[in-house]
Amino acid sequence: MLSDFGSILLFMIAGVLFVAIALFVSKLVRPHRPNADKLSTYECGEEPIGDARIQFNNRFYIIGLMFLIFEVEILLLFPWAMVFQDLGWYAFSAMFVFVFLIFIGFIYELGKGHLKWDLPSPAVPEYVEGVGVVERDIRTEDDEFESDGGLTFK
Amino acid sequence: MVGLEWYLGVSAILFVIGVLGVLISKNAIVVFMCVELMLSAVNITLVAFSSFMGDVHGMILVFFVLCVAAAEACVGLAIVIAIFRNNITADISKINLLRW
Amino acid sequence: MSEHVLNSIGLFVPEIILVASLCIIIVADLLLKKRTHAGGWILLASLVLCFFAFSAQSGINTSAFFAMIAVDPFSVFFKVILVISGIFIVLFSMQNKELIPYKNRIGEYYMLIAGMMLGMFLMVSSTNLLMMYLAFEMTSICSYVLVGFTKKSIRSAESSIKYIIYGSVSSGIMIYGMSLIYGMSGSLNIFEIGAALSGLESAPIFSMAVLMITAGIGFKIALVPFHFWAPDVYEGAPMAITALLAVTSKIAAVAMLIRLFRVSFTGVDATGMMAIIPEGIRWDMMLAVMAAAAMILGNLAALWQDNIKRMLAYSSIAHAGYIIMGVVVLTDQGISAVMLYAFMYLFMNLGTFYMAMLYANKFSTESIEGYKGIGYRAPFTAVALTIFLVSLTGLPPTAGFIAKLYIFGAAINAGWIWLVLVAGVMTIVSLFYYIRVARNMFLYKPEGETEPVRFDNFTTAIVLLLLTPVLVLGVYFTPVLEFIKHSLVMFGVQ
Repeated sequence: MLSDFGSILLFMIAGVLFVAIALFVSKLVRPHRPNADKLSTYECGEEPIGDARIQFNNRFYIIGLMFLIFEVEILLLFPWAMVFQDLGWYAFSAMFVFVFLIFIGFIYELGKGHLKWDLPSPAVPEYVEGVGVVERDIRTEDDEFESDGGLTFK
Repeated sequence: MVGLEWYLGVSAILFVIGVLGVLISKNAIVVFMCVELMLSAVNITLVAFSSFMGDVHGMILVFFVLCVAAAEACVGLAIVIAIFRNNITADISKINLLRW
Repeated sequence: MSEHVLNSIGLFVPEIILVASLCIIIVADLLLKKRTHAGGWILLASLVLCFFAFSAQSGINTSAFFAMIAVDPFSVFFKVILVISGIFIVLFSMQNKELIPYKNRIGEYYMLIAGMMLGMFLMVSSTNLLMMYLAFEMTSICSYVLVGFTKKSIRSAESSIKYIIYGSVSSGIMIYGMSLIYGMSGSLNIFEIGAALSGLESAPIFSMAVLMITAGIGFKIALVPFHFWAPDVYEGAPMAITALLAVTSKIAAVAMLIRLFRVSFTGVDATGMMAIIPEGIRWDMMLAVMAAAAMILGNLAALWQDNIKRMLAYSSIAHAGYIIMGVVVLTDQGISAVMLYAFMYLFMNLGTFYMAMLYANKFSTESIEGYKGIGYRAPFTAVALTIFLVSLTGLPPTAGFIAKLYIFGAAINAGWIWLVLVAGVMTIVSLFYYIRVARNMFLYKPEGETEPVRFDNFTTAIVLLLLTPVLVLGVYFTPVLEFIKHSLVMFGVQ
C-alpha cells in the first residue's frame, strides 16, 4: 500500500496535472488576437504608473502593529471560548482581566492620538525678507512627538 | 505514519535557516522575519512533541510563543521606525555608532 | 478548584498591586495634562506597598496557580532585592536629565518599568517553563522599549535595535532548548522535568538543550560569550535604565537560572549527595568556563574604556562572572553566597550608576577623563563614588569584600581552585580601572571652572541611603546572613 508520503505525492501530481491540462485545453480552444490594451496589467482600470515595489509610508507599519495586538488577542480568545463553560467563573474572570488590560491599552492609544491618520504635512514655500523663498516645514516640533504620522519618505 | 524525527528535522532546518538569516541579513526587517522563522521552528517542535506524547501543555506553550513573537515583532518594527527617522536607513550594517 | 484559585490570588497580592499601579499610571498619564512625574510617584508608592506585602509573605512555602509559580522564601528574598532596586531606579529616573525632552511621554516610561518589575517578580518565582519564558519575555520586551526611550538620540535608538536583535535571537534559542527539554521529559513543570531526567542516560541533545537555555538566560546576565550587547546597550540607554539592566534584571535572571538548574538539572546520587542529572552532562564545567571567560574578558576590556557607562558595562560583565561562580557550586553554601553577592551588588552598583548619572547631569560628561578635578569641586559625592568603586573591587572594609569572600569560599569548598585563582587575579586587575576614576577625581586640579558644586538634599539623601549599606554591611552583616539562611528554602527542594 501507499505510505503517507506516497499519498501526498499522488495528491501533488494530481494537482499539477489538473492545472496543466486545464491550461492546455483552454489554449487549444481560445482565439488568439492580442492587442496593446489587452496586454496591459489592468485591462479595464487605471494606467499603472511607476514601479510597484516602492517604499511604503511608515504609517502603514504603525497600523500594522496595532492590528497585530488585537489579532493576537483573538488568538487567545478562541481556545478560551471553547472551554470557558466547563471552567466557569474562573476562566470568565481571567479573560475579563485580560481583555480589560488590553482595553486600557486601547484607550491609551486613542487618548494619545496614535490612531489618528493625519495627512502628510507639505513643505510650504514662503517669502522671507532678505533671504528669498524658503521651504518651511509646517509641522511643529511637538507634533512629531504626539503623532506618528507626519513624516513621509519617498 | 510520519515519524517524529521528520517533524524535528524540518524544525531544526527551519531554525538553522532562521539563525543563518539573522547572521547574514543586513536589513533589520529581514532580521525580524528570521527571528519569526526561528520561533515557528520552535512551534513545530512543540506541536510535534505534544501530539506524539498526547500531552496538551506543549500546544498551550505554542499559543504563548505566538503571542510573544507578535509582541517582539511589534516592538522591533517600532524601533526600526524610530531608527529610520534618525538615520533614514534600515540597513543594520550602517548602524555602527557604538563600537568597542 | 475555586479554593485553590482564591488561595493563589491571596499569594499573588504584590503582583496584583503592581498590575493595578500599571493601569493607574496609564489612566493618570491620560488625565493629567501637566506631564509631571506623577507616574513615578504612583509606581514608587506601589513598590513600597509591594515591599510590605512581601514582608507579610515571609515563611510561606507553597506553590500557586496550578504549580505555575512558587511562593517560597527564596523567591521572596529575590523579590525584596528587586523591589529595593526598583525603588532606587524610580528615584534615579526622576532626576535623570536625559529624560527631560521626553516629558510628554514620561508616563509610558514608568508604565514600562512597572511591567518590567512584574516580569522580574514572575521570573524569580516561576516553576514552569511556560511561565519562565513568558516572564523572561515580559522583562525583555519592556527593556527593549526602555533602552530606546530617548528615541531622538541616535545612540539610544541604535543601542535599542542592537538589544532587540540580540535579545530576540537569544530568547528564540532559549525556547528551542526548552522545547527539546519538553520533548525529552514530557512536561513543562520543572519538578516533573527533574524527576523525568533523573532516570535518563545522557545524550548529546540534552547537553545542547541545556546550552541553549543557558544562552537565553546568560544573555540577560551578560555572561560571556553572550555579552556582546552589553557595552553598546549600556552606553546608549538612559542612565537609570542602564542601572536597571545592570542590577535588577541581572539579579532576576540569576535567580531564575538557580531555580531551574537546582530543581531540574540536579538530583541525588546513590550516596545521597547532590549530583548532576542526567549523568555525564557537565553543565557545572560549562558554567565555570563561562564565568572564567566573563571575569577575564570583562576586567581586561574595562581597562581601556573611557566612557564611564562602557567601563561599568564591562565591570558588570565581570561581576556576572563572580556571581556565576556561586551558581557553579549550587550547594546551599553556593546559593547563599550568590544571594549575599546579589544583596551587596545591588547597593554598590546602583550607587556607582547614580554617581555617574549625577555627574552626567551636572558636568555633562560621561568620560572618565572629564572627571578630572571633581574631587575638589564636589568632595562628598566624589568620596562616595570612590567608596562604591572600592566596594566593587572587593577591598575591605566594604560590602563588596564580604560578598567576594563568601563566593570565593563557596567555590574553594567545592574544589574549584582554578576558578578562584582566575577570579583572584582578575580582582587585582579590576583595581586598576576602578582606581583610575578615583585618581582622575582627586589627583588632578580642576580645569576651567573651579567653584564647588552643590547637590540638593534629595540627592544627598539618596547617596546616603546607598552609601550606608555599603559601609555598614562591610563590617556588620550578620542580619543579612540570618535573612539569607531563612531564605534558602526553595519550594520542592530538600
